[in-house]
Order: sequence, then structure tokens, then C-alpha cells
Amino acid sequence: MSWDYLFVQAANGAVIGVIYALIAVGVTLIFSILKIVNFAHGDLYMLGGYCAYYVIEYLGFPPLIAMVVAMGALFLGAIVLERLMLTPLYSDATERKDEYGLIVTFGLAYFLRNSAVIAFGPFPLKPPSFIPGVQRLGNLVVTNDRLVAAGVGIVLIAALLYFMKRTMWGQALDAVSQSRDSAAIVGINARRFNSFAFGIGAALAAAAGALVAPIFSLAPDMGVLPNIHAYVIVILGGMGSVTGSIMAGILLGESENLFTAFFPDPTRAFAYTNAFGVLVLMVVLVFRPQGLFGRRHLRME
Amino acid sequence: MRGLHVYVLLVAAAVALATAGHLNAYWLHVSIIAMYYGILAASWSLLAGYVGLFSLCHTAFASIGGYTSALLVKWLNIPVLLGMGAGVLMCCALGGAIGWVCLRMSGPYLAIFTLAFSEIVRITISTEDDVTAGMAGLHTAPLFQSATRLPYFYAAFALLAVSLLLMGLLVRSRWGLFLRAIREDEQAAGASGVAVARFRILAFAIASGFAGLAGGFYAHYIGIMTPGVGDLDEMAKLVVMTVIGGMERLPTAVGGAFVVEVLLEVLRGFGQWRLPLFGILLLLTMRFARNGLLTPLWLQFVRLGGTRVPPLSAARDLPQKDSVA
Repeated sequence: MSWDYLFVQAANGAVIGVIYALIAVGVTLIFSILKIVNFAHGDLYMLGGYCAYYVIEYLGFPPLIAMVVAMGALFLGAIVLERLMLTPLYSDATERKDEYGLIVTFGLAYFLRNSAVIAFGPFPLKPPSFIPGVQRLGNLVVTNDRLVAAGVGIVLIAALLYFMKRTMWGQALDAVSQSRDSAAIVGINARRFNSFAFGIGAALAAAAGALVAPIFSLAPDMGVLPNIHAYVIVILGGMGSVTGSIMAGILLGESENLFTAFFPDPTRAFAYTNAFGVLVLMVVLVFRPQGLFGRRHLRME
Repeated sequence: MRGLHVYVLLVAAAVALATAGHLNAYWLHVSIIAMYYGILAASWSLLAGYVGLFSLCHTAFASIGGYTSALLVKWLNIPVLLGMGAGVLMCCALGGAIGWVCLRMSGPYLAIFTLAFSEIVRITISTEDDVTAGMAGLHTAPLFQSATRLPYFYAAFALLAVSLLLMGLLVRSRWGLFLRAIREDEQAAGASGVAVARFRILAFAIASGFAGLAGGFYAHYIGIMTPGVGDLDEMAKLVVMTVIGGMERLPTAVGGAFVVEVLLEVLRGFGQWRLPLFGILLLLTMRFARNGLLTPLWLQFVRLGGTRVPPLSAARDLPQKDSVA
């Protein structure tokens, strides 16, 4: 194994890590506000990718604008879904909200994935590159698409952090995540922020889908693995912790790619990379359920 | 007449057994597969509906049971029935282990944990192809040396009946009460003297054992095992079946499996539209009839016999405990 190969793997790991973090931040945000794990998050990511693809193909928009359009579309679509399907979560008449959230989002995932096969066809699609070509740094070769994906991903995450920490609405979101009742007392309309959080989570997933589309391809089941990865990250980073998710996302992207590089049997390395991620998830859940960077008050009882 | 519904069911079963010979091979196959899903749905409802453990690795256990049995029969040349028994034991042991490991997890954490486990099982089976034949599929020994599917129909019927009988006895016993108490409120159950940990592990072991039984039968009926038997799509299908039927009772869960499996065949003309259709049906069920679509019918049916229907949970009308985290 050469150093060059290691560097390439490390660079790829960083890019994938940023994308994972983008998906996972949405899962965490939705969890901390709505107190549910969104099992359909990977499918929102898939829809975002397809949405951007069709905007590029039929409206002729440049890819980055298409990404923004996809984010907007998924933001609105997710709010509609949330209004239609998740409102019982906020009613005291509903028993076992955990179970309701689980089954509904699981069913939503099933519905979206199977509808996508019909709507978009089972064959992989590939949108045009953001910027064709590659960048070379010595022997290290990275495609421009990966750089754009990582760059835009970092900008989006930074924007989210700024929003959460420095703006009125972000602070209100944080307040709702800490205590719905106290937030209501100081005049925050928690219901509105449920929709808002779900919409933002979906928009971030859509951005991730649009960003990876030129690197990998679009397929109806493309969301399954990133969805599981998002859980790994969210558990690793601590449920409900946005900064934890970002760090865990990059950690996972790196460790997976290095795992592939170091795995003794190269024909199996790729398959076991995914198993490695979920194994980490299981170990963390058993030994440190609050995650590596978890904040205690956000744990669901 | 007391217990009328029991006699109706027995007569219906007798009619089904007597007329099975007249079914053509296609519908015989559909019925057998429906009964396979019936066992899975009943045992999953035992886990998710009675104890409240929303496990997503139930079909993974079916796959483990099938592969264990198929591989043992292939390597050791033991009789198929012995192989299936070994598969059941394997699943009981593994299920108990999973139940033990995730004792402290609840709700979404348990779902994610079991989802992770089922992914590991699927990835391992498809990657270790020199043992399991991977995606190409492992050829298995047939259960019967028979030209028709009729013996398989009777076998599936017997397995389903025995499974339902055993699980029914369990949920009606004192232990069944403990299991439901755990679902309602784990801490209160523990405070009332229920050995929560022991019963959670027990429930996992038993339900996984039945999944392994179904998987073992499936393996030796279909003749080929693929990693797809235990994948997430199968799990989603199982959730769809059980929830649409009604996950809180064994008969409605089995009914859901029958109805969905038969409808999937009847609606073949709709092609791919069937799957999203059932997705929507699941969402509507959850939104508007959370007890399942077959539950009201089943309750009406039971009342035929004049039997008083026991409420599923005594705590239903009590105010919800404060959910502020």
C-alpha cells in the first residue's frame, strides 16, 4: 500500500464525511424537535437528488441553482408531509408516540422508495458535473465534483450553525428542543417549529442528494445506505447534538475509507465497509448510548 | 352459543384442508407463502404489538434460520427436519442474545439497533459467498420428495397452526399479562414485580425462534436461499402486513399477512403500483385506524360466540404521563 493511495482515501473520506454530516444533521434536528427518528430521511435525500436532476434536464438550470431549487421543493414538500402525517405526535390523545413516529416514517420510506421506482425508473441516472475535470496536488487526484460537494456541504453546515446559534429563529428551535413547555411559556409557537425543523432537515438532505448525484449516480434505493450511515453518525455524535453530528460525520467518513484501505482482503473490503459502520453503531448504542459528544438532556426517555 | 367463533374457525380450517387439493399450483403456492408470512407476522406482533419491542431484524432471523438449516443439511447430511430444528435453536439463542444486549434500549434506539444487526447479517451473508453462495443463492434440499406442492401446503398449515396455538397460549397466560404490562409501562411493570429483563429476553428468543422456523420452512420449500429473504424490503413488507391487519393481536396480524399477500397477487395487473399502494394504505391505517383494519372485524367475529372481549390495555383511559423530556 502506498502513501498516495492512503491520501486519496483520506481525501475521499473527508468529502463523504461532509455529505454524511449534512444528512445526519437533518436527522438530529428532526429528532431534537419532533422527538422521532425519521426513517424516511434517506428517501428525502433520494428525492432531492432526483429533483435537482430534473430541474437541470428540463429547465436547463445550472447544477448549483438546481440544488437550491431542490432544497426549496423538499422544504415545502416535507412541511406538507409533516402536516398530513405527523400531527398526531403532538396530541396528548395519541398513545405510544415513539411507535407512531417509527411506523409512519418507516411506511413513508417504503412508499417513497417504491414510488420512485415507478416515477424515475429503476436504472441509475447521472446529472452533469458541477465543474468537469480534476485537481492535482502531487500524486493526489481529486475530481472537481468532490471538491464542490465538500465545499458547498461545509458552507451549508456553517450556515446552519450560524442560524442555530446567532439568529432568533435558531435560538427558538434550540429552546423547543430543550423544553417544549418552557418554550411555549416564553411565547414560542412550538407547532410551527415542528414543521420548520422537519422542512430544514429535508432541505439539507435534498442538498446532500443533489451534491452527490454527479459523483455517484441516482437510483431509487440510493437513500438506504446513507440513511443507516446517518443513524451511525447521529448515535456516535449523540442524538440531538448538531456539532456532535458534524464531527462524527467526518470521523465516520474518514474511518470507513481508511478501513477499506487497510482491510486485508480487497475483494471484500468494500462490502464490509458498511458492516463496519453499523458495527460501530451497535457498539456505541450498547456502551455509550448518549454518544461520544451527547448532551444528556436531549436523550429520549 | 358460547365459543361459536372457535367452531367457525375450526370448520373453516377443515374446509381449507379438504379443498386444498383442488387449488391449482399457483394459488397453492400463494397460500403457502401467505402462511409463511403469517408465522412471521404473528411472531413479530408478539414482539412489537404485545411487548412493544419494535424490532427490525425479524426477517433477518428468518434468513438466519433458513441458512442455518440449509447449510447444516448440506454439510452434515442430517434430515431436513433436524436442520430446521437447529435453525430454530440458533435463532432462539441469537434472538435471546440480541434481546439481552438491547435490554436498556427502547423505541427508536431499539429499532436502529436491530436495523443495524439486520444489515450486518445481510452484508455478511452476501459477502461470504464461498460459504453461503452469496447473491447467486444457496440451493437447499427439499423438505418432501413430492411432485406437487400439496404436502408443503399441509406442512405450512400445521406449522402456522402450531405456532399460533403456542403463541396464543403464551399471550393468554400469566406471562402474556407480564409481556403486555412491559409494553404499557416498563417501570411500573418492574415495580409490580415483573422480571422485566427476563421477559424481554424471553420474548425476543421466542419470537426469533418462530421467525427461524418460518425461515427454515421457506428455505426447504423454495429450494433456494438468497440474502434478500432477510433484507429491509422484506422487513418493510412484514411491517405493512402486520400493521394493516392489526399488530396488537395475533389473529389480526396473521389476517393482515393473508390479505396483503393475496391482494398482492390479485392486483398483479397494477404491476409496480401495488407496492406504493400498500405504503399509502399503511400510512392511512396509522393515521386513522391505528388498531389495524381487521381488528374491528375480528372483534365482531369474536362477539359472535358471546365471549366478552378483554380490553388490550387497562391503562388506555388513564391520562398520559408527562412527556416533557
